[in-house]
Amino acid sequence: MARTRARPGFGKITAVVLSAIVFNSAAWAQVAVPAAPSTPPSAGAVLSSPYSPECRVGNTEIANELPLPNVARALQSRKSIKILAIGASSFRHRGRAGYTALIETMLEQALKGIDVVMINRGVSGELAADAQVRIKNEVAINEPDLVLWQVGTNDALAFVPLEDLRATVSETVQWLREHNVDVVIAGLQYVDRMAQDAHYKAVRQLLRQTAVDKKVIIIRRYEAMQMIAQAAMPSGTFAADEFERTDPGYQCLAQYLARAITLGAFGKGLRPPLRNDQPPSQR
Amino acid sequence: MAQRADTPSTTTRRSGPRAANAVDFWRGYALIAIFINHVPGIYYARFTHTNISISDSADLFVFLAGWSLRIIVGLGDRHTPTRHIVLRVCGRALTIYAAQIMITMVAIAMLAATALILRNPLLLEWHNAAAVFQDPVPAHIGLAFITHQLGYFDILPLYVALMLMAPAIVVIDRFAPNFVLPISLALYTVVLAVPIPIPTWPVDGQWFFNPLAWQLIFVLGFVMAKPDAGVGAFVRQNMFWVRCVAVPIVMIGLIIVLLDWWPDPTKMPRPRLFFIAEKTYLTPLRLIQFLSVAAVFSLLYPTIRRLAAPLTDFLSMLGRNSLEVFCMGSLLSLSGQIVRFITKGNIGIDTGVVIVGVAIMALTAWLAEWRERARGQASARSQPSS
Repeated sequence: MARTRARPGFGKITAVVLSAIVFNSAAWAQVAVPAAPSTPPSAGAVLSSPYSPECRVGNTEIANELPLPNVARALQSRKSIKILAIGASSFRHRGRAGYTALIETMLEQALKGIDVVMINRGVSGELAADAQVRIKNEVAINEPDLVLWQVGTNDALAFVPLEDLRATVSETVQWLREHNVDVVIAGLQYVDRMAQDAHYKAVRQLLRQTAVDKKVIIIRRYEAMQMIAQAAMPSGTFAADEFERTDPGYQCLAQYLARAITLGAFGKGLRPPLRNDQPPSQR
Repeated sequence: MAQRADTPSTTTRRSGPRAANAVDFWRGYALIAIFINHVPGIYYARFTHTNISISDSADLFVFLAGWSLRIIVGLGDRHTPTRHIVLRVCGRALTIYAAQIMITMVAIAMLAATALILRNPLLLEWHNAAAVFQDPVPAHIGLAFITHQLGYFDILPLYVALMLMAPAIVVIDRFAPNFVLPISLALYTVVLAVPIPIPTWPVDGQWFFNPLAWQLIFVLGFVMAKPDAGVGAFVRQNMFWVRCVAVPIVMIGLIIVLLDWWPDPTKMPRPRLFFIAEKTYLTPLRLIQFLSVAAVFSLLYPTIRRLAAPLTDFLSMLGRNSLEVFCMGSLLSLSGQIVRFITKGNIGIDTGVVIVGVAIMALTAWLAEWRERARGQASARSQPSS
């Protein structure tokens, strides 16, 4: 792809522009990956509103920007990426696609000519320890470039010891890295009732810290949803209908994840890391 | 596994429950193990054999379901018309389907009620229930067609699918018994080689238990329950040698699980499903280990019976009424999860969950048999006057 000849810094601009077009445009115009606009808008202007209005959370950083080298390499070598979604289920809502289908659409519309294969393997109620075994098997069977892992909620509800959860998540992320698979973690869901729950809070912090330690992208879903919820409700009152909140939750999650993937693939330089191991297609 | 098929026909139920036997005993054990394992995070899950074995209670349950199909069909009875047997099997599929729909609706209501009482919408998303509440139009179609399954409520859909395949199994068994296992094995091989996932709908995903793969263990139970011909006869005649092979396999499985010596699945040859331990497709590693466990542990039943007759009576009672007990157990597992969530779970709560759960499962089995007895007595009373 033409991106291999890009100038340093160009990738970042491309990613930002792509994000802006994908997430901000109502039409979701198709864009060729290598083609940069002749007069790109400033990064600041784009970053101020990279998401649809219902998903904007001001200046809060929703995802840490980190490279996704295996996704970048797959895009370059195969013009396709295979994403394995593990965790909560993805389903249509009022005519809108499920969140993983939405991610697939957003990425394909942003990256013209790129095929995004989304493999949904969520098992509901599953603890991280069980997901760990399944992730390894699914990687062996499906050979994805990226794993989207929604983790923590079931473990928090089942009061799995924090150290066990930390070890499971760390080991799994490490294993994926050693097997040339990128990972993006989506953290806990937000609901008012859990805001004061010490264990829930501890699991949230544990996931964030593990992501920092292991240098993987984590979507700060809880914080984002909390801000959206607080913005939506009249001051000092209880949420009007908190039972309806799950839909925008997943719609926004799709946007956050798709943007994190775009930035991860392009934002930190277009070249995949020079490695001696085999490309994913031959793993 | 290779205990003699000493489970009498279900027709004897009218005159009282059948005596304790190996099949019912192990099924009773599987029911309790499934109940405990379906409360994720519970302390006592560490004592189920899942922690020392590659296979788990689900394998045992489905194998024994196949064994039961042989009982339904009749062990050596070739006089019953084929269409009667097919109808009986289809009726059984309908009963299991009804049970699945019932427990699913109760589970949905339990999650909804808990969410409302606790004012916590997070619980609406637990166990794949979100689609029912957020996208009810397609979700209800999915529920009716069992393509939408709640988490941990996914064994009965497999059972329904297997019972829908059962008429074909029964007919082939009647007219060409030597073809049952080869056809099953061929289907299994194709499903693993391709592989062929069974999609869920409206939630994107696959059936946690792939019926096209799991039919093999069901068929194995079916053919091995036949004592006088085919694989069943061969295994019985060569039980000593079968166990000589099985013991090392069980030991190797034990070492792998205890020491976490799982081989890296990405280093396995292709098609990888033939070489990794995977539950959805019931891969050969898992299946062979299960058959070995069954061969070895079937040796233990007479000893357990001798040393702890009340235990065998108790578990056999659960096993005799497996569908009722399984349904109750599924709802008790979910109740256990809700209780643990509310009380923030500790060993005391977990102990209570297990004791109360097993007691209610036992009560369910006892009530089912009491009902059978009452029906039998009523029928006996009405006969002389008619």
